[in-house]
This record gives sequence, structure tokens and C-alpha cells, in this order.
Amino acid sequence: MPSGSMSGGLSGPTSPPHPTVPSRPLRPSRYVPVSAATAFLVGATSLFFCFTCPWLSEQFSVAVPIYNGIMFLFVLANFCMATFMDPGIFPRAEEDEDKEDDFRAPLYKTVEIRGIQVRMKWCSTCRFYRPPRCSHCSVCDNCVEDFDHHCPWVNNCIGRRNYRYFFLFLLSLTAHIMGVFGFGLLYILYHTQQLDRVHSAVTMAVMCVSGLFFIPVVGLTGFHVVLVARGRTTNEQVTGKFRGGVNPFTNGCLRNVSHVLCSSQAPRYLGRKRKAQTVSVQPPFLRPQLTEAQLAAKVLDNGIQGDLHRSKSSLMESQSADAEPPPPPPPKPELRYPGLSRGPAGHSEESSLLNKAPPTPTMFKYRPTYSGPGKNHTALTHAYANQMSRRDSLKESSSSLLQSSQQPGYRSEPSLDGHEGGGVERSGPERTGGGPGGPPGSGITGYSLGGRSYPSFSDPTVLAGGASRSSSVRSSHNAPPSEATTSTSYKSLANQTPPPAPRNGSLSYDSLLTPSESPDFELAVPEMSPGRPRTPVVGYSSPYLSAQIAQQREAELHQPCAYSTALLASPQHAGYLRGSTSSPPAPPERERERLLHDSQPPHHHHHHHHHHHHHRPPRFSRPPLLSDSGPSQPSYPYRTRSTDTPLPPTTHPPRSPHPPPLGKSLSYSSAAAAEMQYRLVRKASASVGGGGIQAPKDEIQMKSYSRTNGQPKPSSTPSSPSNPVSVSTRPGQAYSSAGSSQSPTHKPGGGVKKVTGVGGTTYEISV
Amino acid sequence: MAETHSLQDLRQAAVASKVFVQRDYTSGTICKFQTKFPAELESRIDKQQFEETIQTLNNLYADAEKLGGRSYLEGCLACLTAYTIFLCMETHYEKVLKKIAKYIQEQNEKIYAPLGLLLTDPIERGLRVVEITIFEDRSIGSR
Repeated sequence: MPSGSMSGGLSGPTSPPHPTVPSRPLRPSRYVPVSAATAFLVGATSLFFCFTCPWLSEQFSVAVPIYNGIMFLFVLANFCMATFMDPGIFPRAEEDEDKEDDFRAPLYKTVEIRGIQVRMKWCSTCRFYRPPRCSHCSVCDNCVEDFDHHCPWVNNCIGRRNYRYFFLFLLSLTAHIMGVFGFGLLYILYHTQQLDRVHSAVTMAVMCVSGLFFIPVVGLTGFHVVLVARGRTTNEQVTGKFRGGVNPFTNGCLRNVSHVLCSSQAPRYLGRKRKAQTVSVQPPFLRPQLTEAQLAAKVLDNGIQGDLHRSKSSLMESQSADAEPPPPPPPKPELRYPGLSRGPAGHSEESSLLNKAPPTPTMFKYRPTYSGPGKNHTALTHAYANQMSRRDSLKESSSSLLQSSQQPGYRSEPSLDGHEGGGVERSGPERTGGGPGGPPGSGITGYSLGGRSYPSFSDPTVLAGGASRSSSVRSSHNAPPSEATTSTSYKSLANQTPPPAPRNGSLSYDSLLTPSESPDFELAVPEMSPGRPRTPVVGYSSPYLSAQIAQQREAELHQPCAYSTALLASPQHAGYLRGSTSSPPAPPERERERLLHDSQPPHHHHHHHHHHHHHRPPRFSRPPLLSDSGPSQPSYPYRTRSTDTPLPPTTHPPRSPHPPPLGKSLSYSSAAAAEMQYRLVRKASASVGGGGIQAPKDEIQMKSYSRTNGQPKPSSTPSSPSNPVSVSTRPGQAYSSAGSSQSPTHKPGGGVKKVTGVGGTTYEISV
Repeated sequence: MAETHSLQDLRQAAVASKVFVQRDYTSGTICKFQTKFPAELESRIDKQQFEETIQTLNNLYADAEKLGGRSYLEGCLACLTAYTIFLCMETHYEKVLKKIAKYIQEQNEKIYAPLGLLLTDPIERGLRVVEITIFEDRSIGSR
């Protein structure tokens, strides 16, 4: 059987019809396994039919060769389908779809699937955010839907479209091998006296071959039977995505099996005939006529279905009015579409992702990092839009941190901290041009744990790309030749297995969060500012937050009252501070609970209160997670929240303090920051029911952005203008201080604390 | 497919921008698009109308991916014929895709083109996005 024709056929993406898939150079080595497999399969079976079957059919019945013939036919059919069928290759995205520049877009986008946060990675080759379960095969150089693995024996990816055939191939091959071996054995047993005959020798050879292949094939079959029953792909199993976690893609054993075997054949995406557009679109165009009632209804709409941006923009405007002058509008993405005018509506639209689905790509341009529904993104987004250029890695880190921070039940993975710390530090200098701080996410040092989990840091490609961080983040990922299937990205991801047990039931798919962070988070709160309002919202770290926190820290350390006084002096904050001070635990708790998808509020309360009492003193002496004012601050030993407290996080793992790590760091932040966040959260929660959880992410993202470039702060930073400390008012200064504060936090501190995660994993947290 | 370019096509309006309606993954990997109304279409189309279109598309895709007796029979038949049946018969999914293409065409003709919009069949984008092209409205006295 000509292996070339078999493997060079439709198995690869080089099929001519679709122009968007580039052809790959011919690599003969790819065809060796498939050729060998074909040769063994066909050769051994043919020999069996020629030498063993005749006697068997005479001796026993003609059903023997018929059965074997049918089985062999079945094996061949499935083998050919698995080999030649398009596994579900996504066509490359067209240029229009990726409106934003590479380096502006976040590397990851989070979506929530059945309550579980799943991260979608940007594929730089295919130029879209990979749908869940999609992966880019480096061998085939394509993104494949429901990617299982790349099988060398069929020289094809196994994906959504051909997984069924691959599975049936394994099953039928197992049966076939057993049949051939069994009947061969039967023959031999009846011909023990005539073993010197050719037939016997051939039969024995066939038995050897089939016996040899039986073990691995049965192993693989059993493995896939388990996968099908559990509703996982090989990729997910091997990278440990759901280890100790919940698989959002499973529908139960029976439905999983029926989905694999009984679902309708999925359509091909490549090679489809493009329908010619027969509809002509010419002006003049009609315009929808909105009645006043409709407009009013839109404004009052609670925003689930998308009119949120209206309320959002109004909120944002009022917010801006309170805080500082609104940041300059982000650069319009008019480069391609000059006719489009995006106003605040456009921005607010981005943040108004209530339904937790990724926003339309048009929004990404303004969104520093995508972290799912981000209600209060708009104001922040504005500020950040101007600071796109090198923040991406920061963005991603911060966004992932945000995401992770918002996911309770995730444990930090200290083992990656060093890695990440290095990465962070690496990125820091580039980002702030001198500020050693790591990515803003890292600013959220405690939260940087999340960073460890996201590939942007742990991924070797990212680390390698750290140097080129000024270039697009996305493009930096182009460096590694392969993604997805190969072990590189997955290994890094594999290190970041999700936390062992869902604390509150919602586990981040990508294990960005670390559970240990949560306990620290709570602990940090009381110590940070016993008399100050705690930052209600975890994600709302603004760019100034770190600076503020740093300032606050300093103030606290040196003049406990000065800073707060200064903050209180600011008219904007006064009310908030007072208000928030009155019940510090309450708002944060409430916000956190709201933010968390399926948190267990009672636990949080217990946590917070409990921790407040215990950890107050040590907390205070610790440097803030988010960044310190710079040189005056001692090196910050902990990179994760967990390191902050003397209490081992292990005591807390089972109960995940749901507030994201960000929230913890926020507790350190100045009152102004807290107030701002509170306000943002309030608005966010008011306007969007569950949107609060996204806000913190945005905050953090903003922070990272602001950190990286001295752009005007987001309007949501209330304390910036009034803050007597120059941190907030001088972006560059703030950023540099924030940046500088970042680095110390990342450097490994004096000690390394070992924390045992829920699943028994031990994490080393540098203290 | 032969493309006839009539004089009318040459006067096609210029593309102002494109909106991409992303997939809604909240229920898993089933094909479902977000019904959230994009901001860019604020002034171009009724929210209701847009949502209705997307919802219909979602329903059609749900029907295509349904695990029912029909798809099971199809699978069995394919298995028994060593998948040669695929050479002659159209799968259920493909049939629904044709229906969807027709629906989109009809929507474009009746509703979207007069408003200066154009829907693109998501299958052309790998079922990842619904692309809505917004055309420049150069008419001064647009209602």
C-alpha cells in the first residue's frame, strides 16, 4: 500500500481547495509510522487470510473468514476515515476579524462554561482565540476543534470530526487482533505436528505480530474508553486540566458515549464553497425607529442583554466626574474602518459583558485584557487603550491573575513562582523601562500566583518572549514553533493544574488561581488597614492602586495616620472612606460574594472575620502585595498572598476565601483605592448582576497597564488627583514606583514556605 | 459557482466596519451565538430583530447537533456501509447547514440589506463568529 498516497492525501491541511491553509513542506519522516502501521495491518491480515483461513474455513465453518473479513473491513474503513478525514480544522481567521494589533490584544480570554472559567488562548497562527477544547497542532499547523491528539499512526490529528472513527478503529482493531491471534492459535494447536510447514510458520509470524501489537493497542483502547466515558480529550487528560477539578464539558457517561458515537457528522470548515454574495447593499439605508419608550426601556434595562453599555457609560461618566478627568479616548480602531465611530458606547460595550461571554473582537482593541464580563471596564479601558503597546504580557498576567484571583479554590503553585518571578522580572524592566516591577499582575504579588499558571509566564515561549515584550504579546508567542498538541505549552499548563477541590464549586479551568491565595487574602485584609475600609472588590486594582498601596504602606509604616488623613482629605474619597470605614468587612464581603460565581458566602465571612483577628499584626509589617513605593520599602518576600501570613495556607485550603487574590492585595491598598473599588463594584453590581467579578479583573488589568506605561490613569482611580502623594498624580512616577515595587515583591524572599494544597500537592511559596 | 456581477453590484456600498458576534460557550461547546446586542448596531437595527435572528440561528444549530434517533440511525447506517454512504447521502448536519444558509440569505435580503448590514454565514468562519458587515451610509437624509 503506497504510504505516500495514504498519508499525503486528505489527512493534512494542505488540501488545495481552501486557500487560507498554507501548504507545508513535505516531511517524509511523518509518513513512517503510518506506513508501518498500514503495512503491518494489511500485510498481517492478508497473510492470515491466505495461510490460516482456508484450513479454518474447511475445518470449522465458512463463518470464520467471513467474520474476520468483515472485521478487517471495519478496521480498514475506520482507519481510512481517521486518516483522511478532516479532524475539524478551523480556517484561518480573516484579517478583518483581528482588528486590533497583535500587541494590543490579551493573550487569553476567559469564558465561563457552566460556571467554570475556561481560558481561550490567542492563536497567533490562526489569528483567533481558540475556542474551548480547540488546540493548535504543530505537526499539522492548524487549530483543530475538540483537539484530542495528533496520531502518528494515522498521520492525522484526531479532533471533533474524526474522533469517532479513531475510537471505533481502536475498538475494531482490538477485536481484529484478538480474532487473528485466536484463530492463529487454533490453527497452531491443530497443527502442532506440522509446524515446519510454511503455513504454520506464517501463522506463527502473524501471531507474533498481532500479539506484539495487542498490548499497546488494548492499552490505548482502554485509555480512550475511559476518556469517552469521562468526556475528556487526550489533550485534557494528559495536561491534567481537570485533575481534581470539574470538567465542564461532560454530560454524564451515557451522553458522552452517545455524543461520540451517535452524533451527526460534524461539518467540515475547510474547503467549503463560498457562496457568492447575491444580495446587494446600497444606500439609502433604513434606520430603526426607536420610540422614546424603547429608549427609556433600554436605559433601564438591567443590562443582561446588552444595553448595559448605556447605563455603564452613564455610570462611568458619573464616576469619571467624581474621580478625575476622564482619560483621553483610546485610539479609534479606524485604521481599517474609517467610517466607524466608536464612542463611549463602544467602550462601555466591551465592559458590559454580562453574560460572561467574550466580547466581540471589536472591543478588544480597547480592552487591555479580556477577562470576561467586565463591567467597569470602560473607564479603565479608556485609560489603558492608550497604553497598549507593551503591556500585553502584563496584561495577560494581570488578567490571568485577575481571573485566577477570582477563582476560589485555586492554589498558588509556588513551584512556578521562581519561574514566574523570573519571567515577571524579566518583563518588568522592559515594561516600565527601568521599573523593575514585574507585570502588574505580579504587582498583585500575592496574586501573581495566578501568573504562574498562565502560560504567558510559565510558558517557555513567553519567557523567551519576555525580552520582546515590547512587541506584541501575541506575536511573542509566535516564537515557539508549536503550541497545543506538543508538550511545550501543555507542559507549562500541566504544571498549573487546577486546585484540587472546588471550594465554592467554581474552579478556574486554567488553574490560574491558587487556593492558598484566598486565605492569605483574607488574612491580609485586617492587617493591612485595620482602621481602613477594606477594598471591597478584589479585581478593582487600578493602576494607582499599587502606587497607592505602596504609598499607604509607607505611610502606615512611618506615619500611620498621615496617609489616611491625606486620603481622607480628598473630598471624593471622604464620603467613601467614611462610609466604607463604617463597615469595612461588610462591603468587601458582599462584593466578594457577589463576585464569586458559586461561592459560599458564609464561609467567606467566617474566613474574613476569623482572619482578621488572627493576622492583624504580622500583616501590617509586611509590605503590600501590590507594590511599594520603591526603595524605601524592604524587599517583599512574598509573591503570593499566602506568603504573607504566618498562618499556613494549608489550614484554609478547603474553604476557599472566594475573594480573588486581588481582593487581598486590595486590602492593603489605600483607602482611596478601596473606595474606588468599592464604588466600581457597587456600580458594577448595581448595573450588572454578576458583573462584579469581572470588575476586579479589569482593575487588575488596568493596573498592569498603568504600570507599564505612564498613561493617564483610568478615571476610576479616585484617589489619584487628590492624593497628596505624588504617586497617583504623576503617572510616570506612580508607575515607576509601582514598577519598582513590583520587582522586590517578586524576588524570592528570605524563606520558602511549603504549602500543602488540597489535592496533596505541595507548593513552595517564597516568603 | 458562477458569479454574476450586475451593474448594481458595482455600486455596492463601502464597508464601514464589521461586527463579530462571538460564540456563547456558557452551555458548553454546542454551537450557540451570543444574543447580546453589539453596540455598533445600536443605530442600525432593532435589538429585537437582531436577537430574533441570532436566536433562530441558535435553534437551527441546536437541531443540527441534536443527539436523536435520526443521527443514531445515520451513524449505524454509515458504519454498516463502511462509510460509503457518505458519498451519496447528505448528513443531517449538512442539511441543517443548508437550511441555515438559506435563512441567512433570506434575512439578508429582507431585513439586513435594507438597513445597510450583511450577515455572513458563520460556517465560513468555522462556526466561530457571526460576521455582520456594516456598510457606510452615505445618504444624507437617512430616516
